[in-house]
Amino acid sequence: MNKPELEGTAHLLDELDKKLMVLLRDGRTLIGYLRSVDQFANLVLHKAIERIHVGKEYGDIPRGVFIVRGENVVLLGEIDKEKEDNLPLNEVSVDDILDAQRKEQELKQEQQKLITKALKERGLQLMGDLMTHDDMF
Amino acid sequence: MLPLSLLRTAQNHPMLVELKNGETYNGHLVSCDNWMNINLREVICTSRDGDKFWRMPECYIRGSTIKYLRIPDEVIDMVKEETMVKNRGREQKGGRGGGAGDRQNQRTRPAARGNFGRGGSKPGPVGRNPPFQKKKQ
Repeated sequence: MNKPELEGTAHLLDELDKKLMVLLRDGRTLIGYLRSVDQFANLVLHKAIERIHVGKEYGDIPRGVFIVRGENVVLLGEIDKEKEDNLPLNEVSVDDILDAQRKEQELKQEQQKLITKALKERGLQLMGDLMTHDDMF
Repeated sequence: MLPLSLLRTAQNHPMLVELKNGETYNGHLVSCDNWMNINLREVICTSRDGDKFWRMPECYIRGSTIKYLRIPDEVIDMVKEETMVKNRGREQKGGRGGGAGDRQNQRTRPAARGNFGRGGSKPGPVGRNPPFQKKKQ
């Protein structure tokens, strides 16, 4: 795929059929084979998994075929097949990682509550109900 | 196969649509357009936290609100078969007009165009839409 008209322009055609990691705007990580793209960076991911990281642990959830709407993509990168096998992380079961994720989220929420409380006491109402706004994502 | 073409081939298949606000819609795809607007039928809507559910016979989703769609694996398999069949047909015809064997046909084309598609100098039936005639080999 060496088209001269694409010389020096950012494009995704070189990534077709490679194993990619895609980071979405909501913070989720998808890994799959890129089968197709268009001018909006809409993606088709084949044999995709969702990988959840908590600390040094991760878990994979098989998800199948994704059509990702381009505007939700933050970045994508090729997975290095050689380095993939000796990650400095350890894989755990889906249940375990979901559990860990839930605990992490609860911890974050607690901390957020403390911060808002402290700010309120100092007469600052930061973020208010912004965090609950649906369009944050 | 562009992402939106894949979506079109996924018509009448079950799929999961997640919106940017985290709500998910499970249903069968009825139709879609170039803006990714879609019609679903027999829909189950799930709230962002996965704790509330709504059933509805049909719904319309504006494309710009979509985060991603998950489609069944067999849709990709369908596409693979389709493109294989198409390619086979192309090989038998000797490519898409790029081959050396096609040169001679190209020369006669301007004349053919002036005659409303009646090929070359052979006298054919008169009228705008002459009945289809089998070419003699």
